[in-house]
Amino acid sequence: MKNRFAGLGRLYRGETTFDFIGRRTIGFAISLLIVVAGAGSLLIQGLELGIDFRGGVAWEVPFDGQRGELADKNARAVLDANNVESTNAKIQFLTGTELQIMRVQVGDQTEQTRLAVQKSYAQLANVPVEDVSVASVSSSWGRSITEKALRALIVFFVIVSLYISWRLEWKMALTAIIAMAHDVIISVGVYSLLGFEVTPATVVAFLTILGFSLYDTVVVFDRVLENAKKFAASRQSFSNIANISTNEVLARSLNTTLASALPVVSLLVVGSFIMGAKSLEDFAVALLVGMIAGTYSSIFVAVPLLDVLKQNEPKYKPLKGQIAVGAAMSELMGHGDIKRLAVTKSSKSSSSATTETSLVTNEELIAQAEQRATSLLTHPPRPRKKRR
Amino acid sequence: MNKRRHIISLVLLVVIVASSFTANLIAGNKPALGLDLQGGASVTLQPEGAFDKANLDVAVEIIRARVDSIGVAEPEIILQGGTVIVNLPGVKDQQQALDIIGRTGELLLRPVLQTGMLNENPSTTIAGDTTQDSTQDTKQPAVTDTVPVAGGPGSSRHINTSAATSTTVPVSASTTVPVLDSATVAPADDAAEPKVELGEDPNDPSQTVLLLDKQGIAYVVGPAGASGKVFKNDARADVQTGEWTVVVSLRDGADGDVQWNKMAADCFNRTELCPTGQLAMVLDGTVISAPTVNEPEFTGGSVQISGSFTADEARDLAKILEFGAVPVRFVVSQAQTVSATLGTDSLRAAIISGIVGTLLVLILLIAYYRLMALFVVAGMTISIALLWSLISVLSRTNGLALSLSGIAGIIVSIGIAVDSYIVFFERIKDEIRVGKTLKNSVIRSFESAWRTIVAADTVSFLCAAVLWFLTVGSVRGFAFFLGISALTDLVITYFFTRSAVLLFARSKRVQGKKILGIQTVKPEV
Repeated sequence: MKNRFAGLGRLYRGETTFDFIGRRTIGFAISLLIVVAGAGSLLIQGLELGIDFRGGVAWEVPFDGQRGELADKNARAVLDANNVESTNAKIQFLTGTELQIMRVQVGDQTEQTRLAVQKSYAQLANVPVEDVSVASVSSSWGRSITEKALRALIVFFVIVSLYISWRLEWKMALTAIIAMAHDVIISVGVYSLLGFEVTPATVVAFLTILGFSLYDTVVVFDRVLENAKKFAASRQSFSNIANISTNEVLARSLNTTLASALPVVSLLVVGSFIMGAKSLEDFAVALLVGMIAGTYSSIFVAVPLLDVLKQNEPKYKPLKGQIAVGAAMSELMGHGDIKRLAVTKSSKSSSSATTETSLVTNEELIAQAEQRATSLLTHPPRPRKKRR
Repeated sequence: MNKRRHIISLVLLVVIVASSFTANLIAGNKPALGLDLQGGASVTLQPEGAFDKANLDVAVEIIRARVDSIGVAEPEIILQGGTVIVNLPGVKDQQQALDIIGRTGELLLRPVLQTGMLNENPSTTIAGDTTQDSTQDTKQPAVTDTVPVAGGPGSSRHINTSAATSTTVPVSASTTVPVLDSATVAPADDAAEPKVELGEDPNDPSQTVLLLDKQGIAYVVGPAGASGKVFKNDARADVQTGEWTVVVSLRDGADGDVQWNKMAADCFNRTELCPTGQLAMVLDGTVISAPTVNEPEFTGGSVQISGSFTADEARDLAKILEFGAVPVRFVVSQAQTVSATLGTDSLRAAIISGIVGTLLVLILLIAYYRLMALFVVAGMTISIALLWSLISVLSRTNGLALSLSGIAGIIVSIGIAVDSYIVFFERIKDEIRVGKTLKNSVIRSFESAWRTIVAADTVSFLCAAVLWFLTVGSVRGFAFFLGISALTDLVITYFFTRSAVLLFARSKRVQGKKILGIQTVKPEV
């Protein structure tokens, strides 16, 4: 690669030849690191569940930024006056350019208390009572929501595994689900690290990440399957097939991620930062992290992992460890038809000669390819059938 | 190949989408907005203890009737499994919402003191001044007298419904002083019209109140003598001697047939407690049926109500009796009010960021795919029109409301829709690079891209379907829009993108030109 633009041009034309499989340890190490960090944070810090999951009452009071009366102390005083335990109350000030909101969250309260506090806050903020939003959730309901979400998750796993097993194959289903778990642990870990509160919108975001991660992996695997069929006759190591497929879908993966992430970035920047709709912020952050993780994991986790599972299959075992890189991969990807055939032949013969060579050098392959290409054009006479 | 087919597919799709879009515009269908976007109150109820599906339906109907009666615009009442979600847009007062919804509907048995039509003729006015004390007093001794009677193994006894005249009379609901035409009733005790003080709250079981039935016939009913719990949970509609009848068993003991027989005796003997001989079954302030009691005592353990029922009427009555026997009690598990300002602010933020996001995506695609991006722009326009029409129609017919999480689902689906184009275009690039003509590349790449798109959309759709069936609340709204978007994507890809790009690839002008940044081969003709 001469410069950056040459690389972009090749990406644009789909001519990249990155060796994803050969360097998979790097990808695995990075993933492992992030997953362990995320899981660690989850274990130590845990997730901060919103009232929808643990039950409780939340008031949202809109106010004018200049008005100082709504300071933390006043908000707590109102709670105290209504006999609400204020030490555990969580008071947040959400400030956007157009709208400022004070959100106060406490445990379960009676209906009368809810109304009384709502009225007091309305007075404090000098807004009509109706402008103060109240939400109350009983803790049993919160539990049932959580249970339902988990149940949906399990059913989803089962159905999707069955579908991918049927449509593609079971090893792909397994790796796709591992990659998906990877993405979800990363996103949830980020959530836990940043200390965001888990709301129903967050659950929606996590579920979207599941869908997106699978979607992306399915697109890549579909190409892997197609290439496996294409190269079935010419005998290639699975690593080669995986590498080629990944390079072929690379442009698509990056484009799709950009196209999917742009609306989310817009939601974050325009909706949340500029217009102050804070309800969108947590959602957008989770989604963005998940989308990036989803694309990353399809390429750096799902496909290399699939190779780990597949390379020892009887069909691919003799060719295990052969990875064509650079120009050789480019040849394999079909830039020139006759040579492609030749290369595949040559790689077969070289495999029998040097059984466990990890890498066949490019020059060697090309030389072989050229040599074979000429010999391929001159057909040796077909041996006669023996007569009985 | 068949060029005509592609043109037909294109034209048909555009015409269908455009006409449904304009039809919705003309009809004024708009996507209804959820509570989080327009403000209002939302209450989630869960039945307490065990419940029966049919009884839950009745309970939901009661809530629906109550909500309708207060005239909330576009209320949304969703029954999901055992959970009832009531969304009342525009209702600002949570207390009011809870008052409307939180009460448990109860079937009451009340003696009918008078029946008649509501009319505006002031000549037969009932003075509503003096209290009818006797009603309150005589109630008590009756209880002590009645002892369970060991009667013979009688067959089920009959009560006939007073042939409820189906004359529908315009009822002015605003009539504060009700006027009864007593001519249709034969009061038992004396010719003088009884003076009745009517209670304020029609649901108060201890007062004498004026109630209407669904036909608009007015009933003055006394204090409730029993509730629907005197019945067993086995009401059924049957045809007996050529007529639709409803048969229901009585419970044993003080809360069952004892109470019932006491009332039946009063009505059969036309005491002043029940001068008309009719026993009204009242659910949530509406008289469901007011049969005349034909037996002083029901010893057979079951009650048969017959009259000129249609099959549906009989079944409805059976359903209500069953509900009365085991009323569903709800606990409020979630109550929420969203202020209108908060809602509209979120809506504006979501819409503006959605538009900005879509524009950014289009700019990216135009920069990347140049001319071919026009197909994306056109395709996206059609999908947006299609989605808008679908959502509008569903808002109108199914009471579906677009909530913030729904908008999130749509924004996410932009990525899915765009991906279909990207998969297709990248595939075309692959094929062109190998040296195929543009036309052949497009034909071949659609085949493989279509497989990928179907697989990927199926996964999205599965995700949406599982979420839709297994979760509640906002996650469900998200799932719905995600699912719809996945389907729309398939339709647009197959009927629009495929045909349009194929037709484009066939046109003579583009042969041998640079497409998607790659020189194409000119076909040899």
